[in-house]
Amino acid sequence: MNARETAWRVFATELNSSTLEIKATEEKMPSYIVTPLGAKINRVLVAGVLTEKENMGSEEEPMWRGRIQDVSGNFFINIGKFQPEASAAIADIEVPSLVAAVGRVRSYTTDDQRVFVTVRPEHIVQINQTVRNEWILETAKSTWKRLTATKKVLSMGEATEQDLVKAGMSPVEAFGITYALDNYGQMPDSALYLKTIQAALRMLLPDRDVDLGFPEDLSDEPDEIEIPENGGGNNAAQLEDLILNLLEELDTDGKGAPREELERRAEAEGISSIELEEVSNTLMDKGLVYEPNLRYLKRI
Amino acid sequence: MGEYPSKEGVDTMEMEELTPHIEELQRVLGDKIDEQQIMEELNKYLNEYHVNIDAAKRGIIRKYGGSEVSSFVTGNSLVKKVAELTGSEQNVDITAKVVFVDTKEITSKGLPKKILSGILGDETGTVSFTVWEPGSMVLAKGSVYHFRNCYCKTWNEKVQVNIGSRGRVEVAEGIKIDLPERQISAAPPTEIKIGNIKEGMGSVTVTGKVISVETREITARGEKKTVYSGMIADDTGKIQFSAWSDFGIKEGESLCIQNGYIRAWKGIPQLNLGDRCEVSRVDAITEIVDTSSNKKTVDEITRIGGGLDITVEGLVVDVRQGSGIIRRCPQCNRSILNGACTTHGIVDGVMDLRLKIVLDDGTGALGAVVNRADTEKLTGVTLQAAQGLAAVKGEGVVGREITSKILMKRIRITGNVMSDDYGPSMIVKSAEKVDINLEEEANKLLDEVEAAI
Repeated sequence: MNARETAWRVFATELNSSTLEIKATEEKMPSYIVTPLGAKINRVLVAGVLTEKENMGSEEEPMWRGRIQDVSGNFFINIGKFQPEASAAIADIEVPSLVAAVGRVRSYTTDDQRVFVTVRPEHIVQINQTVRNEWILETAKSTWKRLTATKKVLSMGEATEQDLVKAGMSPVEAFGITYALDNYGQMPDSALYLKTIQAALRMLLPDRDVDLGFPEDLSDEPDEIEIPENGGGNNAAQLEDLILNLLEELDTDGKGAPREELERRAEAEGISSIELEEVSNTLMDKGLVYEPNLRYLKRI
Repeated sequence: MGEYPSKEGVDTMEMEELTPHIEELQRVLGDKIDEQQIMEELNKYLNEYHVNIDAAKRGIIRKYGGSEVSSFVTGNSLVKKVAELTGSEQNVDITAKVVFVDTKEITSKGLPKKILSGILGDETGTVSFTVWEPGSMVLAKGSVYHFRNCYCKTWNEKVQVNIGSRGRVEVAEGIKIDLPERQISAAPPTEIKIGNIKEGMGSVTVTGKVISVETREITARGEKKTVYSGMIADDTGKIQFSAWSDFGIKEGESLCIQNGYIRAWKGIPQLNLGDRCEVSRVDAITEIVDTSSNKKTVDEITRIGGGLDITVEGLVVDVRQGSGIIRRCPQCNRSILNGACTTHGIVDGVMDLRLKIVLDDGTGALGAVVNRADTEKLTGVTLQAAQGLAAVKGEGVVGREITSKILMKRIRITGNVMSDDYGPSMIVKSAEKVDINLEEEANKLLDEVEAAI
């Protein structure tokens, strides 16, 4: 099949936290980036504010770089001579402007092993507020779909790709989620994506006080789209202690605390599953707990 | 006997050894050849060309049109029954009856090509076959042939018989083959929802409601036939059906169609009601898909392969070459390049406007061709305006102008979809721009997220 690759709708947070690549091994075979939520991406459709653009090449052979900012962060775009239409288009677009762009993704690994994902637009066009908001809605929906699908897979235990397809997922979704969970080696940071969805919904529903329980602290540092720090909230230390105690209590056989059980107990203590995840991430970052596998959490 | 070879050491002993073979040949060939000719032929094969006796006998029987080839089978010639085929045969002879055969148009190395394909069978089973270089060959359904020098392959774990340029097909006169009952398709029919039907499925059992039915007269191989075709739907989808005999199907009835078979036309699966099909009336089915709207995601379409009157919604992510002002052949209406039609030569082209777009809904991408009326509706550029613009600034500008009007716009298109190596594509019957109720949709999402966390 030489079918055209899907233009995935992803927010900058999800695209930029991707470090997994499926490289082409044969000529004409596409390469993919797999996001932590299991989107297997060759092409994306992004929208936002073109905040800057610069021609790094020459008049004759332009090489444009730019940034498109969405509700969560920045997409880094490159347009070279192989994207003549986009190249001609961006030359005429004033910054800042609302734009939509469709193009293939590429990833670069820096010397210090940080991974950057860039987009090479085939088309970039100016859009109005409505089109931008439609993109935000569509992207929020698809992010939420991937997030819930990932949760579902985790709750299914040892499910193979075939099991997931039988359970109603598309083969592409089933592959992506399985591949992401197997290769990232840790659960996706769902708090990050929920915060992004919160930001999206706030943008779409300015009159409704959207509050999913996240502080609006998305670091907008363009170059550092790293997982934002957790904690800093209410009684962080208390929560951490509580969770650590629960972990110890629930670890009856030395394998660690089963996640489902942990979630139930945490909820009884008034800790939402989102909060629980944030706290466990913090604890993991601090090196106090680890995941022997995806369904267990264990105190070190 | 005077002409019999008299080379040293072969005379009388050879003669004695040959006697049974000669008798065998006479028995098989009957009065097609006399003993004298048999001797001459054997002499030629054995002494001039030094082939062995078995090959000689086969050659003679073929030449004179004997019918019992299989009785001459020996170890060094591979003749198999259908059930014995493993799929790895490089050179095999099969004598079998043609159960079904059809001419197919394929594209090979960019050139159109005709092949014959169908199903052949003997007492032991059936297998599909393809004749790759049929020339003017005509195979008749129900006739028995010798398929010689075939090679076999497996596809989807099923054996396929191929007759390539080295292969031959000969009429096997006088041979009768009775196929075992219901051997045409090995797989038992599966009960299936219409929405899940895919091409290449074979036998199926479907329950649905007849949306429409019509009779058509067609001429197949010089024979007039009546075809009953229409549309049947259940709660998951709808599909075109064709019945080759009169099942008395009426619009609005609910039917259970057992042993129908699926064949795809250009990637669109269709349900065929053949000889083995059984149709029974069932309790009225009330829940069927909204047959006026058959909305699918591109991912769903890709998995099915294609279908009729499918509606898709998405963003126009690319506008392909060949969009804008084109010229059509006044005789066949196909688009022409540089003033010449591939069929009718240099013609005075008729101007038209169209769009070739890529629509992407986030689950996949679909190519679509939009006709003039819908192109005008979507872009706001009429053919007249386009012609005016072209006269002043050139036709290239028209392409860019309509591209800029449609790129990244959200549209809903309906039409027939088929698939090839480049994915699904639609011939658009109707198109419209889509407005989303952002607030309502966003509230729905918010409620869903809040309920889940």
